[in-house]
Amino acid sequence: MDGLLSQLGDYLNGNQVFTVSTLAMYWQGLVNTVQLVFIALIIGLLLSLPFAVMRSSKKAWLKWPVWAFTYLFRATPLLIQLYIAYYGFAFIHPAEGSLLSTFSNNALYPALLAFTLNTAAYTTEIFHGAIKATSRGELEAARAYGMSRSLMMRRIILPSAFRRALPTYGNEVIFMLHASAIASTVTIMDLTGAAYYVYSRFYTPFPAFIFVALLYMVLSFGIQGLFKMLERKLLVHQRPRS
Amino acid sequence: MSDTTPPLVVSNIHKRFGDNEVLRGLSLTASKGDVITLIGSSGSGKSTFLRCMNLLERPDKGSIQVHGEEIRFKESRRGRELADLRQVERVRARLSMVFQNFNLWSHMTLLQNVIEAPVHVLKVPKAEARERGMALLERVGLAERAQYYPSQLSGGQQQRGAIARALAMEPEVMLFDEPTSALDPELVGDVLKVMRELADEGRTMIVVTHEMSFARDVSDQVVFLHQGLIEEAGVPAQVLEQPTSPRLRQFLAPKH
Repeated sequence: MDGLLSQLGDYLNGNQVFTVSTLAMYWQGLVNTVQLVFIALIIGLLLSLPFAVMRSSKKAWLKWPVWAFTYLFRATPLLIQLYIAYYGFAFIHPAEGSLLSTFSNNALYPALLAFTLNTAAYTTEIFHGAIKATSRGELEAARAYGMSRSLMMRRIILPSAFRRALPTYGNEVIFMLHASAIASTVTIMDLTGAAYYVYSRFYTPFPAFIFVALLYMVLSFGIQGLFKMLERKLLVHQRPRS
Repeated sequence: MSDTTPPLVVSNIHKRFGDNEVLRGLSLTASKGDVITLIGSSGSGKSTFLRCMNLLERPDKGSIQVHGEEIRFKESRRGRELADLRQVERVRARLSMVFQNFNLWSHMTLLQNVIEAPVHVLKVPKAEARERGMALLERVGLAERAQYYPSQLSGGQQQRGAIARALAMEPEVMLFDEPTSALDPELVGDVLKVMRELADEGRTMIVVTHEMSFARDVSDQVVFLHQGLIEEAGVPAQVLEQPTSPRLRQFLAPKH
């Protein structure tokens, strides 16, 4: 271990690109990316649950607004959604000190808004599909045993839909992580922003971007591992008993 | 309500799907302890009739009384509808159904399946429900499979589990919708054995089946349906041994 550290020290000594200060930039970028993606995913997930239930409803006034929302956000590029949130709100020139000005002065908020709504739209559709795929026979059994609509939703439909949606949702999380790279286009110093800074400062595209690619890879593997673990725990009912 | 009130009385049930009139006025009374088998060729309406009894299908005409309580309907622009969903849910909880395809809840273990409705519909305390659930699984020979999920069980085991789930409701009437039709022949025996035991202990059962030996040996009453009408009904010795209707005779004739 000590040998490895001193080797790393030697390497950094002779290296102009990966200095303590650029590594600190990457670190800050990592923190920003994880924060942005994590918060957007959490809020998006919380929104998507009621949305998916509404979307699966038979009542038109519950179903269609959600349908329009998911359609809109899935039919347009995330980058455009980000631009609308970022440049759009700044363009309004909100009064100094107002809530809206705090919002538009820090690029993080518009980015969070765009990412949250985008992932909420996709996650709603994932859950909606999983809800629709609930076995008719299982629903019938729930009805035959005297369950009300809401009890059925809570005990039968959502728990099984959530499990079915898990692998697809894992993909959505990784997709969001990668899509978050565009946050750097609106001045956010995320991982990609840090890499771009290092590249333009030293004009060293390969080290700057390959290093950040590796960081994204590590994050992706981490997420994949997390979902594998969740699936092992929650999808036991789909595996044969050994 | 006196003890002699029949647990289930249905009368003059009509049901149509589009232009197809499936049930054309069917009546049936199940007294306490009766085992009634419904037989008939496919398309005769026997499953639909059974499904009308717990309102999985909504009859277009006719009345249903569960232990003297009449199911209320209302007329609306879209036709006849259930007037009181709470009433229907309450009544369904007293008539458990066993399905052809078992329909166990796939994300729950066998024991969770058995205690689900008692705990969340009947509000039985969980510990008590578990204890009763384990006793029922023991009864159908699945105690050591309590923690298995449905996909990890054979069809026959799933169906016996589904019967345990039905028993856990302490139902007044058990409805069986072709419980052995989806099973491999060698698994049918175990399920029928459990059903015979239930009949012997005096459960009220209505069974849609193709198992003529079960109908003959176990039931108090056999009802033969043809094109949505009761063609012939009576004790098995009468209906199955000396059928009067030519259609029933043809139905019972050995297939070749």
